[in-house]
Amino acid sequence: VNRVDVTAGRWREAVQARLAAGERFAGAWATGEPVRSWRAAFAVPDGGIAILACAPEAGRVPSIVDLAPAADWDEREAHDLHGLDFDGHAPIRALAGHPEDAAAWTTPVEGEGVHQVAVGPIHAGVIESGHFRFHLVGERILALDPRLFYKHRGLERAAEGRDARAALGHVQRACAACAVANTVAYAMAVEDALGIVPDPALRRARTLLLELERLYNHLNDVGAICAGVGFAPGAMAFAALKDRAQRLNAQIAGHRFLFGSVAAGAGVSAIGAAAGGGARERLRDLRADAAAAWRDLEFTASMQARLDGVGVLTFEDALRLGAVGPAARAAGVRSDVRAHSPRLAYAGFVAADPPAPSGDVAARLQMRAVELMATFDLLEVLLDRPLAAGACRPGAEPGPLGAAIVESPRGATLAAVELDSGRVVRLRLRTGSYANWPALAHATAGNLLPDFPLINKSFELCYACVDR
Amino acid sequence: MFVLLRQLARIRREAGLGRGRPRSVALRHVDAGSCNGCEHELALATTPFHDVQRFGLDVVASPRHADVLLVTGAVTTRMESALRTAYEAMPEPRLVAALGDCALGCGLLGDRARLAGRLEEVLPVDIRIPGCPPAPDAIAEHLLAGLDALGPGATGGRAATARR
Repeated sequence: VNRVDVTAGRWREAVQARLAAGERFAGAWATGEPVRSWRAAFAVPDGGIAILACAPEAGRVPSIVDLAPAADWDEREAHDLHGLDFDGHAPIRALAGHPEDAAAWTTPVEGEGVHQVAVGPIHAGVIESGHFRFHLVGERILALDPRLFYKHRGLERAAEGRDARAALGHVQRACAACAVANTVAYAMAVEDALGIVPDPALRRARTLLLELERLYNHLNDVGAICAGVGFAPGAMAFAALKDRAQRLNAQIAGHRFLFGSVAAGAGVSAIGAAAGGGARERLRDLRADAAAAWRDLEFTASMQARLDGVGVLTFEDALRLGAVGPAARAAGVRSDVRAHSPRLAYAGFVAADPPAPSGDVAARLQMRAVELMATFDLLEVLLDRPLAAGACRPGAEPGPLGAAIVESPRGATLAAVELDSGRVVRLRLRTGSYANWPALAHATAGNLLPDFPLINKSFELCYACVDR
Repeated sequence: MFVLLRQLARIRREAGLGRGRPRSVALRHVDAGSCNGCEHELALATTPFHDVQRFGLDVVASPRHADVLLVTGAVTTRMESALRTAYEAMPEPRLVAALGDCALGCGLLGDRARLAGRLEEVLPVDIRIPGCPPAPDAIAEHLLAGLDALGPGATGGRAATARR
């Protein structure tokens, strides 16, 4: 990937030019300690990635949050974890840091009858840890401040200094539900830096793993929305379908979450039995049962009545906040990384259209169902002949920096890696969940507190791969 | 809804689940810094293929109602105090189960400065459930075996009475 260096003084101008050319802000990260470079990645419409870099002056760089609001969390994280200051981002509220004083990290909300409700980090169900601070009048939510990073394990920092191939373990550990998307993005970033490209067999094997991951996640997420409504038969039916998809994962790749199958710069391991053993037949049975369960959900009036007009993310807000994945597509943003993934086997892929891009819980649920069937179609084709592990071969110029974007079940996930003699100098993993948390918080405002579990489940974002 | 219920009935038939044994053990889960894999599998343990409720095990909403604290993940510095608070909120007798390899301290990954140490260094661990992550049936098996090994008094009168 190419890097363009500009001075801090021309940083905003350079970013503005990228955005004006129709490129999407895809993530930013600080390198060096003390920070010697601040980098931002942009997704080019045809599928390429452009990287801008500038050197901070006296620990400061100009903020771009007014140009690209999607950079808000990136700047706040770099401020908390790397001590970088941003001119024009004031006040810069704590994100990864956890100051005692609530005023240091919450949105100031004042007025008659305004009160706060604090939830977490431990929640009532079997859920990840994180804190939500709601600002309310009565039961009406005025604003939500999610406070994550309770699960910050310092995985990126721990990967520094390690061999690039071995550091893949740190990326896999970041998040179970996005393990394939994250590790494939990381592997492709490392291969980009090493100047090697995957052969067709490896592209196909990785694509199969990515779609298997999407399959069990989307089944899970449909069930999670049922649970958010309190509709137990739907939640249980889709949990059982998800379990069956994970058993299929174990049959095909030897692990229910497909752990250990992706490697950087090498073929996919343990995928030999995929075409045999009746995997396709089991997949067809699963599809028939999922379709029947989905039809039944569509005719469950008590559930459907809860979904319309709740948790609306408008098309404009989705674009402005940099939302990705099914949540953005449900708001009418026609963007799916799979349509431009030459290093994977998605030839001819077209992003799915939502039945109605209303941006509410109903649209996000419908979007999952449409994509679920598209994934069944893709898997059918991917499994139509024997699979091989594949390999990488030389094909491009090596360089110190590599980057790749992959469509995870939650949306575009960026992995960027900086190498020195085959060792990781800096790793940045910016997942679809990371991109979508601000959009979720925004879509929550104006709704009733009792609808929050439902809105939350309709995005179904991870905490683990945000916190890292 | 009838299709969904028919599917669930078919799963129960095909899975051939045994009747289980009566007891009453309330579990409270705390994610102390996991990758979310253990959460996915623990949640599935209470769904139709596995149905751990038939053994009298169930997940409860508050540590106040819990006999066993099920802890997942590497314990992060950020989660240590919340974890201790949850444990302190539990009535005696109380047990701690380490769910998954991270909680057991196996192959922990992360920045040392961000991790509080193995779960065992934070709370006394009574039951160990290995796996990365342990599958739903493995979670149920290890919990039941662990509770059996600790004896009828381990989780108080309710379990002891139920198994008389």
